[in-house]
Amino acid sequence: MDFNFGLIWKFAVPLAQGLGTSILLSLICMALGSLLGLALALARSSPSRLLRLPAVAFVELFRGTPVLIQLFWVFFCLPLVLGFEPASFTSGVVALSLFTGAVTSETFRAALRSIGSEQRDASVALGLSRWTRMRYVILPQMALRATPVLLSNSITLFKETALVAAVGISDLMSVGENISNSIGRPVEILTTVAVVYFVIAFPFTRIVTLLEKRLLRKLAL
Amino acid sequence: MNYVYDFASVFRNADTLIDGLSLSLEIAAAANLIAVFGGFVIALLLLSPSRLIRLPATLFVEFFRCTPFLVQIFWFFYCVPMLLDVYLSSRALGILALSLILSTFNAEAFRGAVQAVPRDQIDAGIALGLSPFQRVAHIIFPTALRLVIPVLLTNGILAFQTSSLLSLVAVEELMFSGKMLSAKIYRPIETFTVVALIYLVVSLPVSQWVGWLERRRVRAER
Repeated sequence: MDFNFGLIWKFAVPLAQGLGTSILLSLICMALGSLLGLALALARSSPSRLLRLPAVAFVELFRGTPVLIQLFWVFFCLPLVLGFEPASFTSGVVALSLFTGAVTSETFRAALRSIGSEQRDASVALGLSRWTRMRYVILPQMALRATPVLLSNSITLFKETALVAAVGISDLMSVGENISNSIGRPVEILTTVAVVYFVIAFPFTRIVTLLEKRLLRKLAL
Repeated sequence: MNYVYDFASVFRNADTLIDGLSLSLEIAAAANLIAVFGGFVIALLLLSPSRLIRLPATLFVEFFRCTPFLVQIFWFFYCVPMLLDVYLSSRALGILALSLILSTFNAEAFRGAVQAVPRDQIDAGIALGLSPFQRVAHIIFPTALRLVIPVLLTNGILAFQTSSLLSLVAVEELMFSGKMLSAKIYRPIETFTVVALIYLVVSLPVSQWVGWLERRRVRAER
């Protein structure tokens, strides 16, 4: 059996376009998902049961089921909710944003918990209002502590975007799979696809580790 | 929204989903069993004092952790039979692929747990004159085991959920039977809702158990 890795250059343009879709999808879903995650984390720490229970149920549902089935589910349910059939890219964005929301809500919740109760007590002693306390004391510290974990969440998301190949979005995985099937060269094409994912995700994980170390030193923990 | 839900037709075909679930559970259980040992062996390589052993092991683990599961599974199903010239059943390939993925995750868990054993406990072992083997067997291993069990269980759930990706390479597990059924009865929403709930019902007790173990450990450390 002979392998010819040179032939991947012929497919460099479609693969790069696929990669572009994967990255775009990751960026959009990370932005929307973090907003949802923050809202869910605040709802879960609320004293009201009416806010807390639905948030807990949402997070458990999305963390307790495979992402693949969430994609299919949104793909078939969204047309019913909207009344028209959205583009598959939109369905992918909705599904992965909901998933990211559930994941990042855990990150935000852990960060909220890591802020000592003396901070809260001090704000109360200073007579700050609930809003001022949240806006100027709790949230800035929480954001700082959540940042490294959010970045590693975004690596997870980048890897999960490969699943959208199953619902017909032309991301890197899907383009690679199509080329590999049509020319019958899975070893060359699929290996290249794996290496591209690795080359992006791996340096990112190193940066996150460095950032985490610096942050921990800064917070003197 | 004037859609009429029809869950009854899903339940009439419940046996398809039950067959799928039993294969999913079988694959996940086999992968977990293999990966506890596989993960431990890889963790030993990761912790080796020799660079020549540590570096390739680290690269191997990082490669699995930094590429999508779907790519790994496709690669495994298309390339391994071609490269090694072995042709296994899709069930066996599925178990092997999932074991390999889970082993790299468990290896990181074991490594983290061993490194989290407090240094003073090991020092105390040295002070008491325990041999290196005794220190591993009586201090490091029991302490690390308590730390690692919740992570192994969490990884186990992850493997069960990841087994759904095998549906895309035509292994007839739960997700695959869900897709077949939804095509047969034209009820994708109801079918996928039921399939999602099955995954949830299997995963939730384990994750609640993990939460309980963690809380107990935190209490014990206070």
